[in-house]
Amino acid sequence: MTYSSYWLTNVRLETGYQYNNETITGTDTSIFHLLVENGKFARIVPQETVISDDLIKYDAQKSLLLPTFKEMHIHLDKTYYGGPWKAVTPAKSIFDRFAEEKELLPQLLPTAKDRAEKILSLLIGFGSTHVRTHVNIDPVVGLKNLEATLDALQTFSGKISHEIVAFPQHGLLHSGVESLVREALKHGATHVGGVDPHTVDGNIEKSLNTIIEMAVDTNSEIDIHIHDRDHLGLFTMNRLADLTEQARLHNKVTVSHAFGFAGIPEAKAAELAARFTQLGIEVTSTVPIGKLIMPIPLLEEKGVQISLGTDSLTDHWSPFGNGDNLEKAGRLAELYGYADEWSLSQSLKFITGGKTPLDKQGKQVWPVVGDDADMNLVKASCSAEAVARRATREAVFYKGTLLSGSLSH
Amino acid sequence: MSSSYWLTNVCLEKGFRYENGVVIGTETENCHLLVENGKIAKIISADTLPDDQLQKKDVDNLLALPSFIEKHVHLDKTILGEKWRAVTPVASIFERFEIEKRVLPSLSTTTKERAKALIEILLQAGSTHIRTHVDIYQEAGLTNFFEIQEALADYEGKLSSEIVAFPQHGLLRNNCADLVREAVRNGASLVGGVDPANVDGNMEKSLQQMMEIAVEGNADIDLHLHDPGKLGLATIKRLAQLTEEAGWQGRVAVSHAFALADMIEGEADEMAQMLSELGISIITSVPIGRTIPPATFLHNKGVQVAVACDNIFDSWSPFGNGDILERASRLAELTGRSTEQKLAETLGFITGGITPLNKNGQQAWPKVGDDASIVFTEASCSAEAIARRSNRPAVMYRGKLVSGGFTKG
Repeated sequence: MTYSSYWLTNVRLETGYQYNNETITGTDTSIFHLLVENGKFARIVPQETVISDDLIKYDAQKSLLLPTFKEMHIHLDKTYYGGPWKAVTPAKSIFDRFAEEKELLPQLLPTAKDRAEKILSLLIGFGSTHVRTHVNIDPVVGLKNLEATLDALQTFSGKISHEIVAFPQHGLLHSGVESLVREALKHGATHVGGVDPHTVDGNIEKSLNTIIEMAVDTNSEIDIHIHDRDHLGLFTMNRLADLTEQARLHNKVTVSHAFGFAGIPEAKAAELAARFTQLGIEVTSTVPIGKLIMPIPLLEEKGVQISLGTDSLTDHWSPFGNGDNLEKAGRLAELYGYADEWSLSQSLKFITGGKTPLDKQGKQVWPVVGDDADMNLVKASCSAEAVARRATREAVFYKGTLLSGSLSH
Repeated sequence: MSSSYWLTNVCLEKGFRYENGVVIGTETENCHLLVENGKIAKIISADTLPDDQLQKKDVDNLLALPSFIEKHVHLDKTILGEKWRAVTPVASIFERFEIEKRVLPSLSTTTKERAKALIEILLQAGSTHIRTHVDIYQEAGLTNFFEIQEALADYEGKLSSEIVAFPQHGLLRNNCADLVREAVRNGASLVGGVDPANVDGNMEKSLQQMMEIAVEGNADIDLHLHDPGKLGLATIKRLAQLTEEAGWQGRVAVSHAFALADMIEGEADEMAQMLSELGISIITSVPIGRTIPPATFLHNKGVQVAVACDNIFDSWSPFGNGDILERASRLAELTGRSTEQKLAETLGFITGGITPLNKNGQQAWPKVGDDASIVFTEASCSAEAIARRSNRPAVMYRGKLVSGGFTKG
């Protein structure tokens, strides 16, 4: 499908919520025809409208249209995916894993591009058209994983948008890679990464300051892994907030994992969440289900922008993970008891960068003429069903171009 | 398929691969299996193709796993095949009862139709044994029970099954002991129950009556126990005493058993020993967002623990997909079972304890004389199947294909 203008006919769009007394019990939808021009929605007309032009028409057969998804935390450069099965070997600490990586990363390097491409195909098939990947910048691989990842993303140019975090996995200070990270930022990385300023770098202040400094110097954004728990994580994140404010990096900082929000008094978590909201510091989560449960509903209530990510997709850190962001949203809903229509429906925003067809009040807000035609056709009657039932994705479009699935015309 | 035939090129697990005393992988070998009258009659190396006239089905190196056991579903509750509906928020379990009572009879499909839709999904997932609870209550009488019996009768020879006569609305509270008795007389092989304390309001009488009906009808027991903390633990202890008094060892199961997650040190060993000695098994659906019984601890203490799906799109939950392998994978993820051996061992939770390799890595399944009840899996070993929720192209029950098939044969 290569037409710059075409109609996507018989598309189901959500138009409002159904109420029974005060309770939302369902979602209203109607069938529309959408004109896509130069990768954008150009017209959205009701089903009854007679289309008189000669443009090609693709029939969506009343499937539901959803925004495409965003995979906001993955390591495209470190995976067994597409290669032979390998379980995780036991490790006592994160430093054991670093030691493991010293041997493993050079072994994975020859297949890194190929495997990254396989993951990108997988993500697109699941309906994601944006990926933020972390890329190891460490003394072992130098910039080679970045190169492999850039090559893979080049293969998918025009099919998926991306951000690359220069990720000093073995510690920015601990492994002494500040200059390599700076190099990476000159060669395609868009974000400065980091990991546990205390546990890994052993110097919260210097680690955070260095990250901030690099971001300011290079006009980059920040996405830092903070696994450090409870009050340590809380302290680290508060300090990060201080520095973000001083450096005026509002809306440019993400904390991945952010485990410090869990296992501390709710008032403390709420206070930090309010700071994050004020400074536009985002949180990305894999939605852990074990002993540590993130207080995502609290963060959400305080207005923190939350995104989800797959993180490991079968690698030496975890044998799980499958790249399906819609499944991840469903897991979030199940974990936090979002089982009613409204909660399920609104859960979609965690994987779309905040986009939902209906806003909180049930007003139709997507798609809008002029928006990029990044869209998923799914086999569901509404967003709530898609999230709860992990709807089959029938066709995935990026800027109007069909990437995955098929359509009849 | 005739009663004797060869399954050729079947991948079987042979042993673990060790490095420095640690299991790092699984060795497999290709074999031919002679199936006679639904049982495995011979297992020979794939080096020699048998030169007899028997039919040969080429399995094409798919991994053989023992077929799965679905130990806790509600075939009568699912709304699969119906229009989407989310779950209505409620203030208590009793409101949920009322909603369900209203919804189920109002649906356009029959209980039998919906049950069959679910059975198909369970079979596809690889479950060839189903334990289903069926709601028995005054307003419905035995209608659900007979419909589920009919649905299961349509699958005779394709799976084995057992029905729990389940007084969802309370054995005492709904005053339905006679109906439960009648269900047992009509073929329910287990007596169910739910929260003798918080639903029935009389722990002693509820447990006594359940046990009495079981003994009278020579039926086993499977009790839903959500009651937490000391209350739940007290319920289990009392049930254990009654089990012992009645001589019902090996015939009692407790589903959910959330209270076991609340055991304090000292209590746990004693409880596990009691459950193990009396052969009381524990069934968990691995819910997320709440604590669950310590599956690994209990298993290590000799208690039989099974993982099950429970709710699959019903009035209680909009989630659930009937894929028991996915559930086992969730248990592995939730409890940090990510090494080769721990993943492989996890399979036992969905097979009634059968794993291809035992703890010491010796081949334990399949053996000549075993039922040819096999899930053919696109995986290199059990560990991979669990972690990656591998595809299952064919499922066999006692020598008969009951779902999918082989592309070559």
